[in-house]
Amino acid sequence: MNRPVRAIALFAALLLTPMASTAYAQGYPNKPIRLVVPYSPGGVVDYIGRTLAQSLTETMGQAVVAENRPGAGGILGTDTVARSLPDGYSVVIMDPAIVINPTLQPSMPYDLFKQLEIVSIVSSSPLVLVVAPDLPVKNFAELAAYGKANPGKLNFASAGIGTTPHLSGEMLKQRTGADAMHIPYKGIAASYTDMMSGKIQFSFSSIAGALPFTKDNRVKAIATTGAKRNSVYPDLPTVLESGASGFEVDLWLGIFAPAGLPADVRDKLSGALTTVLAKPDLKTAFAKVGAEPRGTTPAEAATILKREYEKWKTVIVEGKIKKDD
Amino acid sequence: MDVFSNIALGFHVALSLQNIGYCFIGVLLGTVVGVLPGIGPVTTVAMLLPISFTLTPESALIMLAGIYYGAQYGGSTTAILVNIPGEASSVVTTIDGHKMAGLGRAGPALGIAAIGSFFAGCTSTLLISFAAPPLAAVALKFGPSEYFSLMVCGLIAAIVLARGSVVKAIAMVVIGLLLGIAGTDINSGIRRFTFDFRGLADGIEFVALSMGIYGLADVAYNLQKTEEKAGLVHEIGRIWPSWADLKLSTPSILRGTALGSILGVLPGGGALLAAFAAYTLEKKVAKPPRHFGEGDIRGVAAPEAANNAGAQTSFIPMLTLGIPSNPTMALMIGALMIHGISPGPGVMNERPEMFWGIIASMWIGNLMLVILNLPLVGLWVKLLSVPYRLLFPAIIVFCCIGTYAVNRNPFDMYVMAFAAVFGYLCLKLDCEPAPLILGFVLGPMMEENLRRTLLLSRGDVSILVTEPISLGFLIISALLLLVVAAPFIRRKREEALRE
Amino acid sequence: MKIKAEKEFWSGLMFLAFAVVAIVMSRGYSLGRAGQMGPGYFPLALGVLLAFLGAITISQSFVKEGEKLDALRLGPLLTTALSVVLFGLLIEVAGLVISVALVIAILGIGLRSATWLELTALTVGLIVFAIAVFVFALQLPLPIWPTV
Repeated sequence: MNRPVRAIALFAALLLTPMASTAYAQGYPNKPIRLVVPYSPGGVVDYIGRTLAQSLTETMGQAVVAENRPGAGGILGTDTVARSLPDGYSVVIMDPAIVINPTLQPSMPYDLFKQLEIVSIVSSSPLVLVVAPDLPVKNFAELAAYGKANPGKLNFASAGIGTTPHLSGEMLKQRTGADAMHIPYKGIAASYTDMMSGKIQFSFSSIAGALPFTKDNRVKAIATTGAKRNSVYPDLPTVLESGASGFEVDLWLGIFAPAGLPADVRDKLSGALTTVLAKPDLKTAFAKVGAEPRGTTPAEAATILKREYEKWKTVIVEGKIKKDD
Repeated sequence: MDVFSNIALGFHVALSLQNIGYCFIGVLLGTVVGVLPGIGPVTTVAMLLPISFTLTPESALIMLAGIYYGAQYGGSTTAILVNIPGEASSVVTTIDGHKMAGLGRAGPALGIAAIGSFFAGCTSTLLISFAAPPLAAVALKFGPSEYFSLMVCGLIAAIVLARGSVVKAIAMVVIGLLLGIAGTDINSGIRRFTFDFRGLADGIEFVALSMGIYGLADVAYNLQKTEEKAGLVHEIGRIWPSWADLKLSTPSILRGTALGSILGVLPGGGALLAAFAAYTLEKKVAKPPRHFGEGDIRGVAAPEAANNAGAQTSFIPMLTLGIPSNPTMALMIGALMIHGISPGPGVMNERPEMFWGIIASMWIGNLMLVILNLPLVGLWVKLLSVPYRLLFPAIIVFCCIGTYAVNRNPFDMYVMAFAAVFGYLCLKLDCEPAPLILGFVLGPMMEENLRRTLLLSRGDVSILVTEPISLGFLIISALLLLVVAAPFIRRKREEALRE
Repeated sequence: MKIKAEKEFWSGLMFLAFAVVAIVMSRGYSLGRAGQMGPGYFPLALGVLLAFLGAITISQSFVKEGEKLDALRLGPLLTTALSVVLFGLLIEVAGLVISVALVIAILGIGLRSATWLELTALTVGLIVFAIAVFVFALQLPLPIWPTV
């Protein structure tokens, strides 16, 4: 390190130390809260995060600022929060990738269950199963049967290895014995051209991604993957309804904080989230991207988190999807 | 005809006081972020997305679209003045544009860029209004094999474009492809060439790479000259392009517009390919061909027209198919979704006021841009008379802030520093970096599409030549290769005969 | 043998260096089959092609007359690169104001081109302009002051 660098580091350290230690003293929150969105602006996570930040600002009387920290499939942004002080001023909003990554990645910069704690699950949204227009299947069971009877005929698209759409397809193969080849795309939108021309036969897509194409039947939507039917596709049966027991995929979003949050801070934060998530205008806002507000307690959220972790771990291990090096 | 009543409807929407206002805000912001190094339309549109939710969908889209094509005008400014391409598509503009600035012809370069962009913008918008659906059908014909062959074609065009040794140009393309591969492989999820840096997990940030190779390397190179000669004096010549310039550039602008309009429709690198292809075409077709690479005004006019035409027509797949051709378009689809509109073939009938309103606003926006940019030319040119000892720290600081603002990832600074060193070596060794940039951008797409082609065909390579469009591109590639190799072979034969 | 074209020779060497890195590293990734190309296939192929191109460039440099390489002056280059690295190290902890001031100070000291008065005025001007444009006009949440 050259001299000016060291000098400024020292100067910065002197400046920062007193600020850090006084942060606990007064009632929470007494300064702006940083809500990290570990993805690029413009996606569903970004939209939900920003909507939430805006509502929280009104409720908590302190600015909650959404901040995009994209990179490495959400790992970079989550890591900045995992390494922050557990004072409730740094939180991150994250999707199921947070429970998939520890199994999938050869190395992680943080330990999900030791360095982070979940405050609440804030939203749920199913994936929608879409098929090419000329594929002769009308529901989930027929798709599974078709895949079983015609090995090598089905291709399914995803937004990349280890994404929820990919693992859902793997789960379909594992649970039903259907054969299908995984074709990854950079972003699910790019796969629709190939699906419309019949090169891709099906995909599990986010509702926001599928809507423009299913609305005018350029691709067929045949099922949603939630516990119950979704308000965007009220006529579509769930995969559960078609008899595939336990086949439930939820693109939930959760708020995470660094582990070791003081109890009163955690309660205040989760309380504020519950209040905000009960508001009707938030329900309307979430519905635009096919999501429903939830608002669980930290304990409930932790149980769900553990269950999701195990569910995807099984799929990854059984499908031998783990990245090798 | 129906189109005319539609266009009338569009102007009715776009000419409301409110929408003129949003259009102006859009093109103004676009110009600003286009001029600023680093931060581009994607970041800006993303930042304004939440604001756009509070507007009507027409106003929102008019404003966001204005940012996007406005940035295309602004991007050429820094490319010409300080050799910093604001966007991948202005990389080509630096080749002759920055040379022109060095010769004291920054004014005519900036002027012709604005005029070329204006003409291209208006013409291609006209094309959208008459031919959007059939053009969209072309985009639907493109599957993985077609994209792969198109990219092969584009890379070979990049070789034609470079000055000097063909072998070196090919090598630079290959280095670009390799740099582009760094990051997480989408087919296997494995991280390649990341040297265990998590900051490289998503690959090398384009902005950091191009700022380093172009802007910073150029600064270091100039500083060295200043050490030798004490003082780098930029002459300020005339501010406007002369009639002779205009006459010389007109055919180039026409060709650039045509090429850009067609390639822009194709998702994924269409507009970028357009700029490269337009330059290559000029180098081979324009008469007399003598000055390319040394500050030829046609080397600015054609690619600038092409990239602006491409920017305009890249709205076609977004509006009529719901398929984003680049990240900015993906954000606009997001904006529409929040307003409850799903872009697709139905949008023209369901929301004609929005569809035609946006198209009409593009004419208005392009007019605003040319009115905004032409007077600015005088100001920009004056900027070059700022002593270099004050200008260069400003360039470096703006490169840093601009690049940091894109991802807020400090790692990008280290990439940029590394790229600066590499770019400096390239300057010293006469290795043209433009083919590298094209390879860098197309590399990952090319590999992705090749592997996808083979996955879908279950390993059958022959699909590349049995699909007619794909075969067509491969034939063009072969012809281009012949064009490159012909002088070389002829020379060899003459040498052999002499012996 | 004598090198006749120095620029060609060193370019070739640079290509070879890239090729070696590419080939060595892609051996760590699985090659796959032609039908299902592994992650190592494409980079290995490119590495081999690049090595070949590098070899041609070097061999040509012994045959064809070419330009001499003029002296490298690393001072300005390294000062530029270091100031950028410094900005990356500082921006998140020290904020925009201190980072910009230090970058300009380094450039001023390293290159001794402008007077202190000029540098101070430039620093103030750039900081005010940057905050006005990036933070206020474009609403980018950049850290201005030191933060935790």
